Amino acid sequence: MKRVKAVLGDDPEIAFAERRYKMIGGILEECLTKTETGMTFSDKLDKVLLNKYLGIPIFLILVWALFQFSIEASGVFMVIIETALVTVGAFFGTLLEGNEMATSLVQDGIFGGFAFILPFLAPIFLMFLGIAWLEDSGYFARAAFVMDKLLRKLGVHGKTFIPMMLGFGCNIPAIMACRSIEGEKDRMISILSNPYISCGARLPVYVLFAAAFFPGFEGSVIFSMYMLGLAVAIFTAWLLRKTLFKGEPEPFIMELPIYRVPTLRESVLHMWERGVVFLKKAGTWLFLGAIILWFMSAFGPAGYLGIDPDVSVSYTGILGGLIQPIFAPLGFDWRLGAALIFAFLAKEIAVESLGIIFAVEGDIAIGGALAGVFSPATAAAFMIFILLYIPCVAAVGTIKSETNSWKWTLFSVVYSIIIAYVIAAIAFALLSAIGLGVIGGA
Amino acid sequence: MTVRVALIGNPNVGKSVIFNNLVPGARQHVGNWPGKTVEKKTGKYRYKGEEYELVDLPGCYSLTARAVDELVSRTYILEEKPDVVVDIVDASNVERNLYLTLLLMELETNIVVALNQMDVAKSKGYTIRTEALASRLGVPVVETIATQKVGMEKLKAAIENAAKSPKPASLTYPSDIEDLIEKLVTILSADASLVTHHPARWLAIKLIERDKEVLEMIQETTLDSKIEEVFA
Repeated sequence: MKRVKAVLGDDPEIAFAERRYKMIGGILEECLTKTETGMTFSDKLDKVLLNKYLGIPIFLILVWALFQFSIEASGVFMVIIETALVTVGAFFGTLLEGNEMATSLVQDGIFGGFAFILPFLAPIFLMFLGIAWLEDSGYFARAAFVMDKLLRKLGVHGKTFIPMMLGFGCNIPAIMACRSIEGEKDRMISILSNPYISCGARLPVYVLFAAAFFPGFEGSVIFSMYMLGLAVAIFTAWLLRKTLFKGEPEPFIMELPIYRVPTLRESVLHMWERGVVFLKKAGTWLFLGAIILWFMSAFGPAGYLGIDPDVSVSYTGILGGLIQPIFAPLGFDWRLGAALIFAFLAKEIAVESLGIIFAVEGDIAIGGALAGVFSPATAAAFMIFILLYIPCVAAVGTIKSETNSWKWTLFSVVYSIIIAYVIAAIAFALLSAIGLGVIGGA
Repeated sequence: MTVRVALIGNPNVGKSVIFNNLVPGARQHVGNWPGKTVEKKTGKYRYKGEEYELVDLPGCYSLTARAVDELVSRTYILEEKPDVVVDIVDASNVERNLYLTLLLMELETNIVVALNQMDVAKSKGYTIRTEALASRLGVPVVETIATQKVGMEKLKAAIENAAKSPKPASLTYPSDIEDLIEKLVTILSADASLVTHHPARWLAIKLIERDKEVLEMIQETTLDSKIEEVFA
């Protein structure tokens, strides 16, 4: 009797698969004719978009266009939201006239902080719209393919880039998407390098600071923040591969879907699915946060501080003062220190808390107020620190659940603070050297 | 009585578009496969007075025991024994897609093949003789363009037909392999409960392939040593 080995050799599974393909070949010989049609539109597009030299520049241009679009097109929406809020704010102002503390809570806390953050939902939503469009068009998969060559040289798996692209929206689903990466080492590298990708929640910080300190260059400043995040993510992946997760990345096989023009309905739906998370966050945590932040800024150990007080003696001021000495070399004062502490909960709270601090102090035009207190170099260092340090409490929780290890979670937190400080310090030094270290100078 | 239909196919063949075309959005139910992080989508539709329950199986290229989603699909087919299995084949990529079709035929399921993305196949210069394909495979084949809702009525009719007169698919390999399969089937038939729960030929094929799950299954029986003779 013939044995399996005699018929199918040493690896019967592969030999069996070959037999199946042979059968398919036989069937298709009768049922399928292929005529040469030349290249399809999709193939032609890929010739350009996946070109060895053009691939990466085209990717960078598209990402730049994405941010430019979300900043430029959101301007009008931001003005509309602001105007509406000012009207509502004025109405409540007259309603509460006479009660000093309630007026301060509503004007400084709710409208200075919470309402201050709402217009920033416009660029966040528009960016989600752009990301959804790029994803649905089939370009996302190509971006991973284009970057694979570069990443592979650094020992990083090309598939890592897909969660990175998702991270431009929010790091939490992005870190969860790392599940699809086979190979435990590749997956860990993907998870631990993802938090440096700049998510939508960081955008309000950039929009606020770029407009206040680098007028006319907002788009470029914001784009460079995103690129810095991407560079740090790739650097981190490389570093982990060279040190803690030695080895070769697994082979990268991916199917490229054909290009198509996404329908508006589809992209809007996609945007809404992601954006609604921010709306919910705004309606609950940011609102509650505003009340707590107002209380901490308007009260101190001495009790209620009165109208337009010195907030540095409030609870917020004391808290910010605790970590301020560490950041003094970068020009951060207690306000930015406090913003960094609160922003651990969610990065957009940095904007909310600064809004409240300045509002309680009596400043309404926060952009101008910021420029009067900090130098452009300090502003850049702050944006970089916000970009790179601990993502946010929810993302840290996701890192814990996805790595299933407190050790790696702690590693991620500590490493992120160190790298954030180092790069912020370098940027501060460089910008100071070219004369941007002066308050009011730009 | 509800007809239970399973939807299966390679990733990116338009499986969810077909699902959405067949089942109105409001009648869809999304959950997880028990104990797995793999999404499970089910839904119901009516056709000619009959109710059909559709289960969307995870997209997969084969049905090994190695990957979670492949195992989910295979376990569902083996244990739940759906009345009809709709295999969605990307017409613009038939060669690779038919691999899964052969695996489903090995499982002796009651198959309807939906030859989807016919428009893309045409633009690539492919001409597929659908009737010839159907007779070679011995299963009904329906042409569809899911994105344009083309062929959906025909697909529903084919599912109805398959449900009314079920015909388990069968696949014959070249004689050298058939000899091995027959030998193993004879041995396996000694265990009645094993072969009533799983197609005997399929078990034999999986044994030849050294499938982890089937090997474990056999280790619990007394057939172990006899089977090893066929391999030695």
